[in-house]
Amino acid sequence: MYINAASAISPQLSFRQASFLQDWRLLTGHRAACVEPAYADIIEPKLIRRMSRIIRMGVATAMDTLQQAGCTNPDAIITGTAYGCLEDTGIFLKRMVENQEEMLTPTAFIQSTHNTVGAQVALLLKCHSYNNTFVQRSHSFESSLLDADMFLKENPGAKILVGAADELTDYSYTILERFGLFRSHPAGEGACYFVVGSEPDAGAFARVNGVRTLFRPTPGKLEDALAALLAENGLFAGEIDLVLSGNLPGAAAARQYEVIENQLLASVPKIYFKLLCGEYPTATSFGTWLGATILKSQAIPAGLCDAPPTLMRHFLVYLADTAGYHSLTLLTKC
Amino acid sequence: MNREQLVEDLKQQIIEQLNLQVKPEEIVAGDPLFNEGLGLDSIDALELIVLMQQKYRIKLANAEEGPKVFQSIDTMADYIIAHQPAANK
Repeated sequence: MYINAASAISPQLSFRQASFLQDWRLLTGHRAACVEPAYADIIEPKLIRRMSRIIRMGVATAMDTLQQAGCTNPDAIITGTAYGCLEDTGIFLKRMVENQEEMLTPTAFIQSTHNTVGAQVALLLKCHSYNNTFVQRSHSFESSLLDADMFLKENPGAKILVGAADELTDYSYTILERFGLFRSHPAGEGACYFVVGSEPDAGAFARVNGVRTLFRPTPGKLEDALAALLAENGLFAGEIDLVLSGNLPGAAAARQYEVIENQLLASVPKIYFKLLCGEYPTATSFGTWLGATILKSQAIPAGLCDAPPTLMRHFLVYLADTAGYHSLTLLTKC
Repeated sequence: MNREQLVEDLKQQIIEQLNLQVKPEEIVAGDPLFNEGLGLDSIDALELIVLMQQKYRIKLANAEEGPKVFQSIDTMADYIIAHQPAANK
């Protein structure tokens, strides 16, 4: 499966930037909000008024990546989101309490469902194709990628819009902060969409050679999963040029990364992508965007990697979280 | 609240409730709210029904009256004045 176009809105200057993360900044503070574009240039102003931030970010990245790919009507729209449209959910629940379950306004309710982003994209495009949203915590984006891959196996010529979006709100920050999720690093958010197909276009970014998802694996299971992923692609561990890791020093999940990072791929250079996008469940979509963009440009933004690799052919995006969700995504240069 | 104040209040409330990107002074009270004019749609109509009930304590007695009541801000103001509880008049 080839990534033929990609777009990201993140706490970095990542959207429609000619220079790839040239001015990236290390996130500080407790919350990292996305750098959002002027949506009126991308979405009809009359439609913007009903869209919450996550919908705007999702729709903008979806439209941007479709435009890059020259695709007006994708054969499938597949979205991953862990928390869905939290802002509208919060508004709806608040009004439900305040108004004692009476006189509820429809907009927040309609827009609060998890599949709103994918649905809005389809409505704007008048696209009646396959449309699915995966809500599987830290595996939401990976499940979307797996679904896209299966769809392409059944429909080899298809062009698929696949991506992920999650937003941070005052409510979600307050609740998640209590779990100690953001004590050592900022909470984040973002939206990334990709157009994928079974053949590369002229401007293709990278090839997704495989995705593995595991839940609370033993060290042996993790080792087996990595070995199987590499063997399927005729690779051995030494041929991984870079790991895009969701680890953060001192984070609650740091122990989960031990096997892959410090044992199996200890000598491989690493980029810790959550330093750029913050902590959120579908952050691997940003890691995948980052890895694919580096593979396309064959350049790593200055200061992002302590020991940049000399060759950039095969990257591994690796995520592990405190709940035990692990994912491995293998990206290869086109 | 006199009629003039009510019209201005309605403009403000509608802008806030529907998140319209216009200023109160840009809305002409006699202009249509739906299609041309402000370009509202059926979801907005539901929001306006809730707004009238919540802010002005006016319940639309008959759904068939909707198109006439929500024709413009002027017609909404007239309906609110005509149906206001006696204590608020």
